[in-house]
Amino acid sequence: MFRTRRGLLAAAGVLAMALSACAPSAPEGQTSSGTTSEQVTLDVWGWRQEDVAAYEKIFKIYEDAHPGVKVKYVPYKADEYDTILRTGLSDANGPDVAQLRSYGLLQPLVAAKSLVPLDGQVQELAGFPEPVLDGARGERDKRVYGVPFAIQTLHVIYDKALFGKHGLTPPKTWDEMIAAFDKLAAADLVPLATTVTDTWMLPIQQEIFGATTYGGHDYLGRMLAGQAKFTDRPWVDSLTRWKSTSKYWPEQYEGVSYVDAQALFTSGRAAMFPGGVWELAVFGKSNPELELGIFNVPPPPGAAATQTLVPGYVDGSFGVSAKSPDQKAAMDLVRWMASPEFGQAFSTELRQISAVPGVRPQDPLLAQALAAYQADPSPYVTYAYFSGGSPTAWDLASEAFSTFVAGRSGAEDAAEHIQQGVDQWFRPTQ
Amino acid sequence: MTAGRLGPARYRAGYRAGYRAGYRAGRTSPAWIAAFCLPALVLYGVFVVVPLVTALYYGLFRWEGIRRGEFAGLGNYLEVLTRYPLNQEIPAALWHNVLFFAGTMAIQNTVGLGLAVLLYRNPRGKRFLQTIFSLPYLISPLIVGYVWSLLLSPTFGPINFLLRAAGLESWARPWLGAPDTALPVLVLVNAWQWIGGPMLIFLAALGGIPRELEEAAAMDGASPFRAFWSVRFPLLMPAVGVITVLTFIGCFNLFDLVYALGGSDGGPGGAMDVLGLLYYRTAFEGGTNAIGESSALAIMIFILVFGASAVLERFLRRREVTS
Repeated sequence: MFRTRRGLLAAAGVLAMALSACAPSAPEGQTSSGTTSEQVTLDVWGWRQEDVAAYEKIFKIYEDAHPGVKVKYVPYKADEYDTILRTGLSDANGPDVAQLRSYGLLQPLVAAKSLVPLDGQVQELAGFPEPVLDGARGERDKRVYGVPFAIQTLHVIYDKALFGKHGLTPPKTWDEMIAAFDKLAAADLVPLATTVTDTWMLPIQQEIFGATTYGGHDYLGRMLAGQAKFTDRPWVDSLTRWKSTSKYWPEQYEGVSYVDAQALFTSGRAAMFPGGVWELAVFGKSNPELELGIFNVPPPPGAAATQTLVPGYVDGSFGVSAKSPDQKAAMDLVRWMASPEFGQAFSTELRQISAVPGVRPQDPLLAQALAAYQADPSPYVTYAYFSGGSPTAWDLASEAFSTFVAGRSGAEDAAEHIQQGVDQWFRPTQ
Repeated sequence: MTAGRLGPARYRAGYRAGYRAGYRAGRTSPAWIAAFCLPALVLYGVFVVVPLVTALYYGLFRWEGIRRGEFAGLGNYLEVLTRYPLNQEIPAALWHNVLFFAGTMAIQNTVGLGLAVLLYRNPRGKRFLQTIFSLPYLISPLIVGYVWSLLLSPTFGPINFLLRAAGLESWARPWLGAPDTALPVLVLVNAWQWIGGPMLIFLAALGGIPRELEEAAAMDGASPFRAFWSVRFPLLMPAVGVITVLTFIGCFNLFDLVYALGGSDGGPGGAMDVLGLLYYRTAFEGGTNAIGESSALAIMIFILVFGASAVLERFLRRREVTS
């Protein structure tokens, strides 16, 4: 190590903080004289740079129905968005409506009182299922701060051509699944393209393979009430179950990155990829020839759940800035975002599962994912429900699973790591 | 805080050369001197002193997102030092920094010295080789990290491919994925990038040692090794000192390379977790009170690095000899 030009990291970090206090500048073309002007421009901030064109189309529908209102989607870089939004919301030149992260990541904005609570203001929210609204709730005051826009579901994505070639169909039982893995492995294919180095994927894989073992929402309910723990048998077993599939992971999986795993799957060297429904669009783009299918992992012998569970969670929501000069117009827009009209446009244009109740995706795979999720939903426990304090269960799980998968600790140790971290702040509901 | 890092090194490097010029400067009016120093002082103040003081100040409060909450005194410091798993991650990360420093001293700086001696003895192609060895210096550590993680990938990386092709199947490993190899690989990749630095400094220092000294040693019958060890190396001590302190500071501020190689979690089971990553996670992946906690952590890292480099500097200076 030998660097002469590089400042102390601490200085850089603090500097970044100091500089971000001056940012961001007002997006151009904003009229902020909300009271008298006939023309209102609403800025909607978000982290999806790739979705600008789609949002323009979606907001055009709203603009046509509401003359005098212009809606502009202003995207920022995804990994810098949270920091930018935190400062943006503290200023009237910031967004009127903002795309918000869900669960734990939403809490700093709620704590800073940067958002307007929507319950009571947006009647349409009453039609949303409670677990969906959980994604946009403040942990302390339990109020809803955003209209959820997308639901992500977790599956095993498979290559239909490879399955067909080896005479396989989506498995109905755990044993059938293992037999399929064996058959694919014997044919010199990687059955499951998994990553280990990108640790954020590990809790996702654990839900996909372990949800039925601990029992999904039933177990979560008992955890939230303080009657069950991460360290209890069902949850620890779910880790062991998940890791029991590791002989079907890529060779030297400890060093396989997320991008490597994706490439293994899209290049046809691997038959399956356990991951989120958002991968479908990515895979379709990188290899349009690929014929994709999805299934969920059937319960293994001794599992707490008898039916196949489909894990899912709320991806994000749209909320109203407390500093917006056009709060009334912003609230109208957010109300529309809770309507089937927006949900349908969102689902069609962005090929995602809309969170608005009753909206069916046109894409058949998404429709299958949503139907399966609605029939047998399961929570993404570490990400969604134990993320309101520091350290979050999700961070703890990512660390613990990485050690666990590398063979450096047992399932009990991994569970203990999460429990010990969460115990410092989590209080069960009475 | 950059002063602690660059100040002594630069000061001493330019000390002897500028000594005579200093006499003449004595006659210049203080106003002139102040005028010339002002731009640097302003930059230093705005970009170093102000953020440092701000961090100190921020660290004394609880934060609700970006809203400053009540005064917390040393509460954030206590929180950072006692909360699980931070209370275990801090010593682990610190230990990784120490190991990384030791590894870098042992490999990068020793090999750098070796290369410098070789180039000094055989001037043929010196310019060319000097440039080649220093070239990685010009690449951003982030790019170096991403390129090496591609090279080392177990599925698509050429390194394991070559090992397998050469029949060394058992040597092919998930280099960055196994807790045992991750940190050594980090040391090597880092040395690959920065080896030109110590090499250039040692080369310059070697050039400054009078040849007569070694010739005299040779005439007295000393072997080349003995002549190097007993005559030349002690005279290199000022350079060793500068390099050690700079290496120390660089190693304890490590961030971008390890981030590119192992992500913000510090690789498999946190095997490459260092203080820089810990700060990053606390500040940018932390909870509601992220600003308070990360400021406290930053101040503690600063005190540690500043204090340790000051001690190191004193210790090394005492060992210096002059020709």
